[in-house]
Amino acid sequence: MAGTVIGEGLSIEGDLSSEEEVVVQGNLRGKLTTTDAVSVGSSAVIEADVSAQSLTIAGQVTGDVTAAERVDLQAGGRLIGDVKAARLTIADGASFKGNVDMDV
Amino acid sequence: MNGSVIGRGTVVRGNVRGSGSLEILGRVEGDVSVSGELVVGEEGAVRGSVSGTHITCSGAIQGDVRGSEAVLLERGARVVGDLTAPRIGVATGALVKGLVRTDGEPALGTPRRPAVAAARPIAFPARPAAPKVAEPREEVSDSEPPAKEPKAAREAPPPPVVPALAKGAKAKKKKRED
Repeated sequence: MAGTVIGEGLSIEGDLSSEEEVVVQGNLRGKLTTTDAVSVGSSAVIEADVSAQSLTIAGQVTGDVTAAERVDLQAGGRLIGDVKAARLTIADGASFKGNVDMDV
Repeated sequence: MNGSVIGRGTVVRGNVRGSGSLEILGRVEGDVSVSGELVVGEEGAVRGSVSGTHITCSGAIQGDVRGSEAVLLERGARVVGDLTAPRIGVATGALVKGLVRTDGEPALGTPRRPAVAAARPIAFPARPAAPKVAEPREEVSDSEPPAKEPKAAREAPPPPVVPALAKGAKAKKKKRED
């Protein structure tokens, strides 16, 4: 099980920094930083810059996203913001608006 | 499942609020307000006010704790702040520094009596006509003074006893010396 879970119905306003996997199903506004993976569930609404090892988005993210490894934008996911990652996948049915920097 | 967890390696700087249960094993620097069960684990720490329905703490809280149902401090808990809940439990080995108050069921004697006395006259005039209003008031006033008079009569005997005055006088002298 993930180290940190922000469940549906919970909202955080502020900085969240972690050294473990973070699963967000609720609301987060501020900043999200972790050295591990971040998973944004379909019910999640994030208004924050996100920095992680890897990032999976099935919900809504508004903010710049940085991943050391990869970013996966899944079907139904919605991302408005710039992406900086070595790898990026955007699934069919996902919404995305922003620049991509793949560190070429 | 609607449970949220702030893990050991996680620090939140800001406010956390919402529905569902929450388990804090990491650190929160801000207010926490949850409409469900709240658990602060052994290594969990909160710096800010905490509220929830049923709060169980075995970690550290620096701020006021308010439980709408209960607040339980387990062994090893460190709380600096006021505790308020209808039910409060503090285990041996828990540290508390602050005001502890069980709110809800037991009311203090002073606020209750006026509330009851006020409720009677209001309730009576609503049912019968105006003249009858005077009766309950008389009854209340009759019942109260006699209750006080015997008390006063019982209390009266002690003052005449001379030693009481002598003791008071001595005490005053001691205080002045100090």
